[in-house]
Amino acid sequence: MAKDMPQGVGAGAAGTATARPRASGWARILGWAGQRARLIAPLVTLLGLVVFFSLTTDSFFTTRNLWNGILSQYAVVAVAAAGTTFVLLCAEIDLSIAAVSLLIGVLSAYFWITPVFGIDFGTWGVLIGLIAAALIGYANGFFAAYIRIPSFMMTLAMSTIALGLAVWVTQGKPIFKVPGLLRTLGGTGSKIGPVPVPVIVAAVVLLVADIVLSYTKFGRYVYMTGGNREAAEMSGVNTRRVVALCLMISGLTAGMAGMLNVGKLNGANPQPSNELLIFTIASVVLGGTSLFGGEGGIKNTLIGVLIFGCLRNGLNQVEGISIYIKQAVEGFFLVGALLLNVVALRLERIRTQAE
Amino acid sequence: MQRDDAGLTPIPPSPSHDPPAAGALLALRGVTKRFGGATALDGVDFELMPGEIHGLLGENGAGKSTLMKILSGFQAPDEGEMTLRGEQVRFSSPAEAKARGIGMVYQELSTIGALSVAENVFLGDQPTTRGGIINWKRMNAAADAQLRELGVQVDVTSRLSALPLGLQQMVEIARVVFSGADVVILDEPTSALSVRESERLFTSMRELRARGTSLIFISHFLEDVLAVADRVTILKNARKVATLPAAGLTKQRLIEMMIGRDASTLAASYQEGVTLPPPVEAPPVLEIEGLSIPGAVRDASLTVRAGEIVGLFGFLGSGMTEIARALFGQLQPHAGVIRLDGRPVQIHSSTQAKRLGIAYLSENRRATLFPRQEIYKNMTLAHLDRLVPPLFRKRSELGIAEQMVKRTGVRPPNPHLLAGYLSGGNQQKVVLGRWLTRQPKLLILNEPTRGMDVGAKREVLDLIKGLKAEGVAVLLLSAEPETVMTEADRILVMSKGRVTKEFAGERVSKDLLMAHA
Ligand SMILES: Nc1ncnc2c1ncn2[C@@H]1O[C@H](COP(=O)(O)OP(=O)(O)OP(=O)(O)O)[C@@H](O)[C@H]1O
Ligand SMILES: [Mg+2]
Repeated sequence: MAKDMPQGVGAGAAGTATARPRASGWARILGWAGQRARLIAPLVTLLGLVVFFSLTTDSFFTTRNLWNGILSQYAVVAVAAAGTTFVLLCAEIDLSIAAVSLLIGVLSAYFWITPVFGIDFGTWGVLIGLIAAALIGYANGFFAAYIRIPSFMMTLAMSTIALGLAVWVTQGKPIFKVPGLLRTLGGTGSKIGPVPVPVIVAAVVLLVADIVLSYTKFGRYVYMTGGNREAAEMSGVNTRRVVALCLMISGLTAGMAGMLNVGKLNGANPQPSNELLIFTIASVVLGGTSLFGGEGGIKNTLIGVLIFGCLRNGLNQVEGISIYIKQAVEGFFLVGALLLNVVALRLERIRTQAE
Repeated sequence: MQRDDAGLTPIPPSPSHDPPAAGALLALRGVTKRFGGATALDGVDFELMPGEIHGLLGENGAGKSTLMKILSGFQAPDEGEMTLRGEQVRFSSPAEAKARGIGMVYQELSTIGALSVAENVFLGDQPTTRGGIINWKRMNAAADAQLRELGVQVDVTSRLSALPLGLQQMVEIARVVFSGADVVILDEPTSALSVRESERLFTSMRELRARGTSLIFISHFLEDVLAVADRVTILKNARKVATLPAAGLTKQRLIEMMIGRDASTLAASYQEGVTLPPPVEAPPVLEIEGLSIPGAVRDASLTVRAGEIVGLFGFLGSGMTEIARALFGQLQPHAGVIRLDGRPVQIHSSTQAKRLGIAYLSENRRATLFPRQEIYKNMTLAHLDRLVPPLFRKRSELGIAEQMVKRTGVRPPNPHLLAGYLSGGNQQKVVLGRWLTRQPKLLILNEPTRGMDVGAKREVLDLIKGLKAEGVAVLLLSAEPETVMTEADRILVMSKGRVTKEFAGERVSKDLLMAHA
């Protein structure tokens, strides 16, 4: 049968020897190009911001500001963003991040001070909070994947439910007693050496998420489900389970973020705010992960969170910007960063639409 | 195999650029296109005369689609020029080419599944009322009329994605063919069509030609090209080999020019028929009894034994794809029994089917390929279990992919390339390879050689024969008589949801198969 292909594929050792190195040379570059642009463009943005703020302010590039102003401040966002990355990678969305984190934060404080059904949970309340977070996330996932309510709507509805529950549990009043564990994990003051503990927590969460996404079967299923859901299904991947689990992970990390936040603020206030939701999704997308699924990853998310953190932190320190215009300036920077991502992908990606 | 050197005309290494022939409607001069370091087209000349059907041939990856994408403004050439009616042109978008009367049916569907059939036929220029609102009544009536002309009768208001692949392809063709373009480019339009639809398409193509339209027709069915084309151009490794009148050319001669060597074995035509081998004596792996699927299959029964290839032949709407989908948990049968190794099973999902040892290659590449993922990820997906636990080893994953790239002959043979950058035929090799990384118990292949060139087809069929020798039960679905006739031990013909005929141990021919379909 061996068809002697001139460029030597199956047969012909000589053909293989000559064609192979050339083919892999260019093809490797091409193959990785798309992915690299996805990582390089945000990295350039990040470096640009760091250089810019270092030159324009005295206070930006100081050990203190880097650790406490940026890394420690945005650790909460990083934790939530790790889970959100899973959701965006499989081409879904989670709009309940902020509300779930609020509810779980409130719950963990509530369990600390109030016995439920006569049981004083104490620090175990933290564990119960995590389980509750995963369950809420799974509920999102179940309705989105199996019942086919679009995740956009489902998580929006869940957001309202979670907010309502948070207000109901606390009767609208803030709780000022917080488990010591959370103060240790989330508190800005708690440090190991020069490293704030929340930063370590965030690093661990990101690392675990990266390992799951890059080196496990489930992780690969997430990418493939986002890349082409139908094709994944036709390859024997249980895509509905993948989607449900991704939303569960997102719920879990949102809950963790909520607890860290409670530890940081040393109190739980059932005040609705969508800041965390916007920060999180903005960070993931700034990092280059596609909103349409299948492309990106935790490395992108890490860079995205840093871009977002540097931008907000840096702008605060630039003198001569009126606080009234600051927000608009921030928006312009965001558009600029996104533009760079898009342009880089355009340059790298040869149109392959119709084929 | 004998080399017949005398029969081969030497091919000039680099074609000289003659001045364009007078009267050419469209002419390309010295067109070069590179992707990264790879050259997809290398100084290619191409001429299209008014009112001709021009066949474009070449192996997978030869550059056919790329050349046509340049003509239709989808891609810009790196070098070379293009003249339209003697005037130099350069298109920066398909819309621009369309405005100048060039329309193209792409190799992969570019229709929109969520829209209605009629909306797809008029995608981009729906008829409107004076107020600018879409005139639904007129659009539906016109779409219906156009599709009827191509021999298709469907409810034009139904969602396109609800139609079988072949009909979706016809809708795409109708959109371009009736758009009033002077130049109609058809990139492998018949790869998803069965003989009947193809014949209707050829009739429409001839009618268009009679009205003065020029057509370019890409296909790996060489007999079809010889039958409809006035002239053919052959590409090989990014270069043009020759442009010749179709009259007087033979299939064998075409293959020689395409692959550059003697090819008598590849040119075998099954017109005279083949004799099927004596029946396989082995325990049945799959038994289907009285299977019914509403609207698709009625009371179908079949058996596939270990080490046996059963060919299932039928046209669009014959119900064979639905049987395959039911076996892979994508459709729930209404009645009937499916037995696997003698035990009745109910298959609810693809995951369960895979666990039972069933592998299924869908006929629809859109539903199988991950264009934005690397080749190696495309290939290892179905059997990732082999790479875990506890964590992936990149090296072993790449090893498996490299082996499979070699076995299926993907070109370029680089597992890191994004699958979407491969030519159509090579994409097909990738999706086929996915199911060969581990030996399934039952392998169901729906049009496994779609879009492959003659040589690749031969190799894939040999590969399937190898699996059979290892004891895999193979169910091979195709609307192409040659595919089922080449390797099948038994052939079942389906028509309108029923199994109408079974051939075993006897002589079959193309005509005989078609007579029962
Ligand atoms: N967007 C792209 N990026 C990188 N390489 C590409 C791209 N498009 C095509 N190629 C390469 O160019 C070569 C020619 O591809 P082309 O699609 O024109 O082949 P073809 O003749 O149409 O083959 P087939 O019969 O399989 O459809 C192939 O090697 C392919 O891998
Ligand atoms: Mg092609």
